[in-house]
Amino acid sequence: MNDLHAVLWIARKDLLQEARSKAVTVATVFFSAVTLGVLAFAFGENPLLMREGAMGALWVALAFAGVISAAQSWQADLEDGALEALLAWPVPRAAVYLGKLLANWGLMTALGFVLLPLAGGLYGADIGGGGAPGGGGETAPALVVAVLLGTIAAGTLGFALIAVFYAGLTANLRARESLLPVLMFPVVVPILLAAVRASNALVGSGDLDLAWAWLRLLVGFDLVYAVVCLVLFRFVVEA
Amino acid sequence: MAPTGAPTGEPAGAPPAVELRGLVHGYGGPPVLAGIDLDVAVGRVVALHGPNGAGKTTLLRLLATRLRPVRGHARVLGHDVVRQAHEVRTCVATLPVYGGAYGALSGRENLRLGVALRGGGEDPEAVDRALERVGLGAAADHLVRAYSSGMRKRLALARLSLADAPVWLLDEPYAALDEQGQELVDALIAAARDDGRTVLVASHDLPRSLATADAVVEIAGGHLRVMARPTRATAVAATTSAPVDGEGDA
Repeated sequence: MNDLHAVLWIARKDLLQEARSKAVTVATVFFSAVTLGVLAFAFGENPLLMREGAMGALWVALAFAGVISAAQSWQADLEDGALEALLAWPVPRAAVYLGKLLANWGLMTALGFVLLPLAGGLYGADIGGGGAPGGGGETAPALVVAVLLGTIAAGTLGFALIAVFYAGLTANLRARESLLPVLMFPVVVPILLAAVRASNALVGSGDLDLAWAWLRLLVGFDLVYAVVCLVLFRFVVEA
Repeated sequence: MAPTGAPTGEPAGAPPAVELRGLVHGYGGPPVLAGIDLDVAVGRVVALHGPNGAGKTTLLRLLATRLRPVRGHARVLGHDVVRQAHEVRTCVATLPVYGGAYGALSGRENLRLGVALRGGGEDPEAVDRALERVGLGAAADHLVRAYSSGMRKRLALARLSLADAPVWLLDEPYAALDEQGQELVDALIAAARDDGRTVLVASHDLPRSLATADAVVEIAGGHLRVMARPTRATAVAATTSAPVDGEGDA
């Protein structure tokens, strides 16, 4: 079997499990909606503050949901020694990592796409509205939305790269629920900052140049984290 | 310490199916395996017997590359379990004590996943035959989380039978099974022997081990000793970290 085939089988396995249990979907959607709602309440009735905080709130909700998603994906592998059996097969460790990454990234990206219009509506942010008065430019709404969706995809990829790696590292530990965010959030901060800035540039002013600059930084972090995690993951799961 | 004899029943120069030299492993306290040596010839069935915590599962996990030896070497068909772990995994099929199946997948889906990830290609008919053989044909599309522990063990046996691996490592294969299921295990082991596979079986069922295995090796106090050679005299080369009793002097 080639490695790509193994990646797809493992991703399919994780997504099939999630489709049946809906454990991640229910927890992350509920948690994200509550987060967006509470932050909207905290911002009060200041429309400017609401609009400027919309993308920050979106990424806070996605970040917390991403931790739940990654931790849950390893949990299913630990039941009945399934992970032990999987790792005894001649499956490249990188394929195990990439398969789980693919499933997690898919779920997080889908959640981001669902939350984006929700955040826009709740916070009064004009997503795809192009340039705001006094902003950096007048840009086609479709292009702004496309780049915004790309930013969500790139941001959730960077987040999932780290979350799946550290969730695997802590999967067998008793204190995994508390250790996972403590370990991963310091590492994932550059991803979140770049994603928030790129999103804000698009929603706030439709400033594509500024968004591209942050997006390039985001993709750069994605590449660095992808290489580091792929190289190190075998030490996470090997005996 | 070198073994006191060499395995026979295989071509000269061919590596033993399993070769342990001064193998040490522990979990922080006294070593569970305290420098054991063992050669198992290709095509033999060897039962590992011993009390709880003696190190039977530890030994099988070392051979399956799921643990690293603290000291010493373990090789499977000449491949070192640490330095050539991937090659070892292609040679070895395991039957974990808890079955190792995904509860949210059906029995059929679990087998298809196992076959695909072991590189066996996709053969739906082979999967169906394996499920029928272990008596799970009617439950093939039920989720494994609804299976009893005996059904999970049968599913693990079906997955094992689909693995085209020359060495089988079975951890408590009789546990949770009814009499019919235990006979199924015996039949699978016999078929594996006929196919020239090497089988290591960790079990508490000594009478059954004596009936099915070519040799029974006891693990106790971190050491090995050959307890009996029920059927053939060439299955195990030696265990030298403790005296070999009776005729077990090979």
